[in-house]
Amino acid sequence: MITLDHPLVLLLLPLALVPLLVPLLPARAQPALGAADAGRAGRGLGPTLRVLGAVAIAALVAGLAGPWWGRASQVRVGTGAHLALVIDRSLSMNDSFAGRTPDGQNESKAAAAKRLLTDFVHRRPHDRMAVVGFSTAPMLLLPMTDHKPAVEAAIAAIDEPGLSKTDVGRALAMAFSLFDDSSEDAARAIVLVSDGAGIVPREVQEALLPMAARQGASLYWLYLRTRGAKGIFQPPAPGEPDTAQARPERHLNLFLKRLGVPYRAFEAEDPEGVAQAIAEIDKLEAKPLLYREEGPRRPLGSLLFGLATAAIIALLAARLLDRPLPPLPRGALILEDDA
Amino acid sequence: MSAARWRDPALLLLALAGLAALVAALDPRLSRVVALRDLVFVVDVTRSMNVRDMDLGEGAISRLDAVRAELPRVIANLPCGSRAGLGVFTERRSLTFIEPVEVCENYVPLSAAIDALDWRMAWEGDSMIVRGLHHALDRARQLDADLVFLTDGHEAPPPPFAGQPAYGDAATPVRGAILGVGGATPMPIPRFDRDGREVGFYRPEDVQQSPRRIGKPPPDAASRPGFHPRNNPYGEADLSGEEHLSTLRGAYLHDLARTSNLGYVAMSEGVSSVASAFARATRSRAEVRKVSVAAFPAGLALAALALGYAARVFMDRRQQGH
Repeated sequence: MITLDHPLVLLLLPLALVPLLVPLLPARAQPALGAADAGRAGRGLGPTLRVLGAVAIAALVAGLAGPWWGRASQVRVGTGAHLALVIDRSLSMNDSFAGRTPDGQNESKAAAAKRLLTDFVHRRPHDRMAVVGFSTAPMLLLPMTDHKPAVEAAIAAIDEPGLSKTDVGRALAMAFSLFDDSSEDAARAIVLVSDGAGIVPREVQEALLPMAARQGASLYWLYLRTRGAKGIFQPPAPGEPDTAQARPERHLNLFLKRLGVPYRAFEAEDPEGVAQAIAEIDKLEAKPLLYREEGPRRPLGSLLFGLATAAIIALLAARLLDRPLPPLPRGALILEDDA
Repeated sequence: MSAARWRDPALLLLALAGLAALVAALDPRLSRVVALRDLVFVVDVTRSMNVRDMDLGEGAISRLDAVRAELPRVIANLPCGSRAGLGVFTERRSLTFIEPVEVCENYVPLSAAIDALDWRMAWEGDSMIVRGLHHALDRARQLDADLVFLTDGHEAPPPPFAGQPAYGDAATPVRGAILGVGGATPMPIPRFDRDGREVGFYRPEDVQQSPRRIGKPPPDAASRPGFHPRNNPYGEADLSGEEHLSTLRGAYLHDLARTSNLGYVAMSEGVSSVASAFARATRSRAEVRKVSVAAFPAGLALAALALGYAARVFMDRRQQGH
């Protein structure tokens, strides 16, 4: 398929009509009496020269329009998915897994998540990904894209010191809304990375249930558990209150199970745990995926300018070889060459 | 085939066209120095950015919508190889969304992320612009980029009498520019309810009209109505004020830019003014690049060819006129 960089230049194309109307070779003041006797070979030359002039101009104009040829982007089959990464940007993500400010020995939860998610993005070349951050409010950090450098740049920003709260419910609602119709054939997944959970208000729960059912995205929760924090799978000890306020993580897990989508929760207590969970997600979300691949771009300008050169050289040659007919022996008619 | 034949201007022009077309076909390249910039764009998403006083030709739109429409054009204006990042400002700090990435390759995701900016992203209602600016400057320095801070300059609550802190670290000059967004006429600020539905405008009593009570009170505090040495040392009785209306505080932002070693330009001045402000106020990396200049000889060939035909018409006319 041919694409133009500057299509407006084509407005000059009517210039190519000029050679068809005006001959480049001089009209002779005197009609050549011998023209009628000229060889038949010369007869077709006039129209040919006109066409050559038109070709030269058209080729120059087309070349100036910046054409390049590239195969139309091809649809290929790879493995991958459309992924929404939902990342907690609350302040506690900047603490280490031990719940302290990271020193040289250990990294913060956010830094570990950043490092491992970047690897994850590297390993999945065909995925389309979006990045959602959440704290007090959900933020669409990067809409769905297949541009990996942008995804990596959005993930690179997640270890910046974060904000205060953890509004996980609305962040999930945002993530579900990111899958558009174009991703209908693809596997869809949401990867929620957080080190805590908030209470998902009832109205958000009610909004999430139909969204999840409609989008059919599988859901992974990677819970970065701080040492000493209660696990998401751990039932409360007898006598301990079992409410969303007391155990938000456990109750978020219970709610996500009720969403009716394929769901898995991973609890990681250190960077190795995070790596294992991400490897597991990588394995699970490897389904056939259609993706587009752009063909290489070949500029056509030089080719067209070459064509114009050839046409002009042919015109020049015709002009230089264009001799008046030899003077006819009879009569006093004098044809002066180059007078 | 004598030399006299070359006196024909049409033939000369044809020869020139042939030569120029040949040069163009060889695809000549020149090295050109391109000034690349690394910029972090931090967009104010506080409530005053919802004021609908911007007009890009299709009626009044909010300042934030104007930023969403114009900022992709500003980024498209940067030469390929430049890097742009994105963040938002609210309360008293910035938050980075995307660290600087190459602009041409990533233009589509960058402009999509800009288009997704929303006042609902704001995590708090305050708009302490100077503190946010300082935070964003620190952040830009960490990212080794210059800052472009897009705001209307509406501080909420109003800045204290004692003035604002200066940007601390003058030794390392992070450069950048403030991009002013907004109109000159005071306009009401839309107000939204808890679920994000618009429910009218802020009234005078809905916002803090008096300056922040930080630092020294004004020297004439004692003569102000309502002054009390213990209970009201700032001498405020101001339940009236204009803080519920908002304009682009251009002079304020200009001063702020000057004291922080930044440039200032209003976004309404257009993409080219913004680009020249960037040229003045931000650092650039020079990169030598091979640029194809085939268009110049090709254009010359086209012009010569067209002139050749024109000359032919002209000469034929003259001959016939004899």
